[in-house]
Amino acid sequence: MSYQWDFAPVFASAPLLAEGLGNTLRLTAVALAFGLVLGLALALMRLSPRPWFSWPAGFVIEVFRTTPPLVQLFWFFFALPMIVGIEMTPFIAAVVTFSIQSSAFFAEVFRAGIQSIERGQWEGALAIGMSRRQALNRIVLPQAVTRMIPAFMERAIELMKTTTLVATIAYADLLYDANAVAQKTYRPLETFTVAALVYFVVIFAFSLLGRRLERRLAVGGDSTVH
Amino acid sequence: MVWDFSSVLANSDALIAGAIGTVRLFAICLVSGMTFGLVVGLGRYARTRWFNWPATLFVEFFRNTPVLVQILWFYFALPIVAPFEISPLSAAALGISLNAAAFSADIYRGGIQSIERGQWEAARAIGMGWGQAMRRIILPQALKRMTPALTSRAIEIFKSTTLASTVAYVELLQQGKLIASINFNPIEAYTTVAVIFFVILWPLVQLTYALERRMKRAE
Repeated sequence: MSYQWDFAPVFASAPLLAEGLGNTLRLTAVALAFGLVLGLALALMRLSPRPWFSWPAGFVIEVFRTTPPLVQLFWFFFALPMIVGIEMTPFIAAVVTFSIQSSAFFAEVFRAGIQSIERGQWEGALAIGMSRRQALNRIVLPQAVTRMIPAFMERAIELMKTTTLVATIAYADLLYDANAVAQKTYRPLETFTVAALVYFVVIFAFSLLGRRLERRLAVGGDSTVH
Repeated sequence: MVWDFSSVLANSDALIAGAIGTVRLFAICLVSGMTFGLVVGLGRYARTRWFNWPATLFVEFFRNTPVLVQILWFYFALPIVAPFEISPLSAAALGISLNAAAFSADIYRGGIQSIERGQWEAARAIGMGWGQAMRRIILPQALKRMTPALTSRAIEIFKSTTLASTVAYVELLQQGKLIASINFNPIEAYTTVAVIFFVILWPLVQLTYALERRMKRAE
């Protein structure tokens, strides 16, 4: 068995792969931003004592945590446009799906973080005349967010890996472009290997960054929430 | 917009075939992923370099690349160098199992590390070897602590099985796609698939919550 490896055709397609990587990062960044904001909103609703806030939030969180992201993506791309009667581009469908999907996980991180703050902090803030909202914004959230950073990094990495699913609805992310290059050059072995390595380098860099943050927070004597 | 599930119900045999495919792939990945994960986890726990380094390399690589990329690599790239055909089932099972092994390896390592030194010392003191102490004393206690984490990993594996549809393996989502394209009913077809997954996994998710709560109380 002597297969002649030849990476030249793959490197010749480097601009296309770089464009794909750019799209992967763009999708991740947009979904991450929406996911974090929506996640915080869901967490606050879930923690609310009023059932008409906490129940819908609980429902969204449960549904998006317990169904596969690929099924969600197909639903938003193929089914939703028919229900509401609007066109969906692959990018919009992916942003909507991955924002809500990641927000369900972020909501649980936020909730655990907020709940990990001792009652005394709330009581102290209320005692000096702050409203519940002020206490949350100025006292509780700042402390909770530092504890949550490692868990956030972990979820952000999961999100980046999940974005590869958009290749199935023909959004030109790194995986989709790699597939195109593989078909054009008849070099699937080299192309998919390069694609896997590029993903590894990018995602591993984020993992290392997350671990450094975690260690720094641990040195600070703060406990972390998972 | 009137929802009409009759065209989906008419294809229930296709969905049942898909469900069988999903469960089969899940069972293969669960067993092989968690077994291999234990081997890798022991490697990560070992102090000897020859065990530790390969195990660490494996875990880092498979934790930091997307499962879908791994599946497509096994399906499109591996057959070029391998002297055998790779079926959609094998490609998906390889990708998902290795990924599951990498994630469960760290759960096993963490679980084993969480057992107090005294347990090791006592086991060695009454004359047990390393293997005996691990098998009879350490692992049974560690497994108990790992149950919630391993259960949520199992749920992730179940969700990952849908990725096999990208290599045309017959599972629930693939069958949903088929039904949607034949009957032009994507709303009902994909909603049905989503509901099936929710109904199967929701009780399992509740179970992990309950296990986590019980662990917290026990601490």
